[in-house]
Amino acid sequence: MSAPKDSGKRFVQTTVEVEGRTETRVVELPAFEPAPWGADAPLAIVGTSPPRVDAREKVTGRARYTADVVRPGMLYAVIVRSPIAKGTVTSLDLEIARGMPGVRGVMGPGDAPAATRLFRRDISYAGQSIAAVCAERLLDAERAARSIAESLIIAPAPHAVTAEEALANDAPRVRDTGNATEPDVVTRGDVAHGLTMADVTLTREYRTPVALHSALEPHGAVCEWNGDQLTVWESTQGIFRVRSDVAKALGVAQSQVRVIKDYMGGGFGAKNSAGAHTYTAALFARALGAPVRCINDRRGEQTDTGNRPATIQKVTIAATRDGRLTALALDAIIPLGIAGWEGGPAQIFHELYSCPNVRTSETMVYINAGGMQAFRGPGYVEGAFALEGAMNAMARALQMDPVIFRQKNLATLDERTGRAFSGNRLGECYTEGMKRFGWPSTVHRSPSGVARVKRGLGVAAQTWPTGGGPPSYANVRINSDGSVDVLAGTQDLGTGSRTILAQIAAEALGARLDSVRTVIGDTERLPYTGNSWGSMTTPSVGPAVRMAAEEAKSHLLDAAAQMLDVPVERLGARDSQVLLDGVPARSFSDLCRALGSVQIVGHGSRGPNPELAVVTVGAQFAEVEVDVETGVVKVRRIVAVHDAGRIINPALAESQLHGGIIQGIGYALFEERHIDPATGMTLNANLHDYKVPTMADIPAIDASFLPGADPAANHVGARGIAEPPIIPTAPAIAAAVADALGVEVCALPLTPWRVLGALAE
Amino acid sequence: MRLSVNGSPRDVDPTRAPTLLAALRDELGLIGPKLSCDHGECGACTVRLDGELVYACLTLTAACEGAHVQTVEGLSPAGTLHPLQQAFITHDAAQCGFCTPGQLLAAQALLERNPHPTDDEIRVAMSGNLCRCGTYPKIIAAIRAVADASGGAAGAPA
Ligand code: FES
Ligand code: FES
Repeated sequence: MSAPKDSGKRFVQTTVEVEGRTETRVVELPAFEPAPWGADAPLAIVGTSPPRVDAREKVTGRARYTADVVRPGMLYAVIVRSPIAKGTVTSLDLEIARGMPGVRGVMGPGDAPAATRLFRRDISYAGQSIAAVCAERLLDAERAARSIAESLIIAPAPHAVTAEEALANDAPRVRDTGNATEPDVVTRGDVAHGLTMADVTLTREYRTPVALHSALEPHGAVCEWNGDQLTVWESTQGIFRVRSDVAKALGVAQSQVRVIKDYMGGGFGAKNSAGAHTYTAALFARALGAPVRCINDRRGEQTDTGNRPATIQKVTIAATRDGRLTALALDAIIPLGIAGWEGGPAQIFHELYSCPNVRTSETMVYINAGGMQAFRGPGYVEGAFALEGAMNAMARALQMDPVIFRQKNLATLDERTGRAFSGNRLGECYTEGMKRFGWPSTVHRSPSGVARVKRGLGVAAQTWPTGGGPPSYANVRINSDGSVDVLAGTQDLGTGSRTILAQIAAEALGARLDSVRTVIGDTERLPYTGNSWGSMTTPSVGPAVRMAAEEAKSHLLDAAAQMLDVPVERLGARDSQVLLDGVPARSFSDLCRALGSVQIVGHGSRGPNPELAVVTVGAQFAEVEVDVETGVVKVRRIVAVHDAGRIINPALAESQLHGGIIQGIGYALFEERHIDPATGMTLNANLHDYKVPTMADIPAIDASFLPGADPAANHVGARGIAEPPIIPTAPAIAAAVADALGVEVCALPLTPWRVLGALAE
Repeated sequence: MRLSVNGSPRDVDPTRAPTLLAALRDELGLIGPKLSCDHGECGACTVRLDGELVYACLTLTAACEGAHVQTVEGLSPAGTLHPLQQAFITHDAAQCGFCTPGQLLAAQALLERNPHPTDDEIRVAMSGNLCRCGTYPKIIAAIRAVADASGGAAGAPA
């Protein structure tokens, strides 16, 4: 580690990839950065699997989630939502509700600042807020909300809830600016030329469904004003983002808003900003002078908090007989909903394989349905289904093993940007995965036969940008009893960031893990970090925490050198002991007690990114059984091997793999939002008809990471892991189904009727 | 109206809290049982009513007069852990933890009924409790560990 230099701040430009989008940012250059922890760094706490630091709170039921926050005199708010997709509210009766027992406040059209977009008369999707009620008890609020809903008269207008409807010649206008964006075309090489070089060219059309995040904990907020200071307890992946959203929408300064997030029950991308529930609670709380809790009910949650949009993807794939890709082309239509950003399927086409000629086109279409939000691996999950489907189809056409075909087309650099990889061991992921799976070496693997239940094997791969980046700050404070606080304004969604940040701090500081507490989730007390999205928290906040801990350690050892009257070079730290020539000399607690109220604090920040492509890659293998009479697909086994650089806590990382794979199984087999074409209403806005996997649906899963570290990515050597495992699961399952049946099913989910339909053709 | 919650007599008003979940959460301030779907679809609100597993969101308070209700808070005496709680910690069977109280009670009921379940019996018995984070493999491992460690008395109330 180089010594801390002077404090003259310098700013530099760096690029950061967030959810697959590249942003250029100006960031502060840290005064010093510790030397990277390489693959052979002698680490004692990082790389081990202590239990989650908050596990006890969770298993005893003491962990307090947003809906568990109770404030004195708290009121309850309920949102009234549109039952139909498009129209104008011509009449609604707020007065009856106002007079109902327990009701303290009612808001309707025109009652909220325009920036909140709450309570409008013009309806453009089912689930949109129209009014809200605030009452002393939830029951009262629900009753009053029902009376408003019953009084609603909406003059319906023609709507479009599918891409086909929105793109039709006589389509109703979904947005004033038009129903579709100009196609976003990205080209490398010359696809037409690539097609002439090919021996085999295939075209396919793939379709993916709208998937709903369906976190068990709905979105919610508790808001309380104290004078002109607002406190927001929110279930969110981004406390600072919620703070700026709320400040902007309500026209107050960010310093007047404090956002607190303690425990949260999953996010998966849907909880990245303030929402209707936040604004509703904040406005009622201000108007009524009392704390207000507003938690989405399940219908609101499934219709108005985002989704993974559907896609229609036309793919052309071309290769030579010996298995070299010569061209890839994608024409994608993505019905985003009423709003959303472009997290489309194209990017993985440019990144996963080496291919000289790639052309992608994405057209975003607006429809009268709830807008999209990032959902674990946004764009790449959808794109991988098409790209990997086409790769498997091509392998079959070439009569080549699909792993060998992929191995022949491994990307050796990020061909989209021309950047070298900080590390990319996808080739080893295949090899290790084949070994663990027992992947047969012959092409025609499956016993075909006439059995009713057919078995099939499949493989798919993934890549996902996981470099993280600045800005992210952290402080590490050693208290006068030697205990340690890690302070970082980040979030733990259930991913384990509380635990892994404690491990990184303990490692860097030479402290015992049980003496370290991670304090996160409070905009007022903690330094800034960005949203916990894009698998960014570990590679962004981890290095900031390490740097803060290294700085705190150097202060502590300086003080110890004075106290022991030895040169600081002879000192070290381990197990919360200061070591002299490697031997314990004083405990942290003795030392700090002797120092009295001298405050030892280290500051850390995340430095700029290297000029490298930082990605997490992996391969997954699936075995399925398909009953050709019922069309039911049963996944028997999944083997997953990913390369994410250093793994801070293998047990927690494995849990992330399980989570991604299991959500991927849901996406492959069950999950699909259904909208009633007549009304535009979501027909399965609940957890019974929208099927997420249960324990009975889960196969044997063998999920692992390649050992190692990525010191070129950042000085902790870790990349992100949360999103990558969901990306290849559905395409691997689809490949296994195609292997079992001998026909491809090109649309998800692989429901019995889709399977039987494909067999009938 | 009186019922017993985790061994203590408690009074609730069924008109203020028509469902058992509202009674436990809003009247009695217990936060272990969670509200997620409100329709008996997810298991986040799971509690035990006279030993039976019920979805508290679907259970009428008025029907619980004199009943014994156990929530996750009653799984073990304060300061101690039930073997299942310890196993959930050891096997990392809680990610976000929102489903965990319900999962623990479902697992407790399963092991009382069937101290040595097969993995398939675990899967079926636990399939009324959703976990969107995908902790299922680790929940199975945790239940397995408790069942294997017991000589037949697994899951007995601590
Ligand atoms: S909240 Fe009761 S089952 Fe979902
Ligand atoms: S641990 Fe998050 S829902 Fe189960």
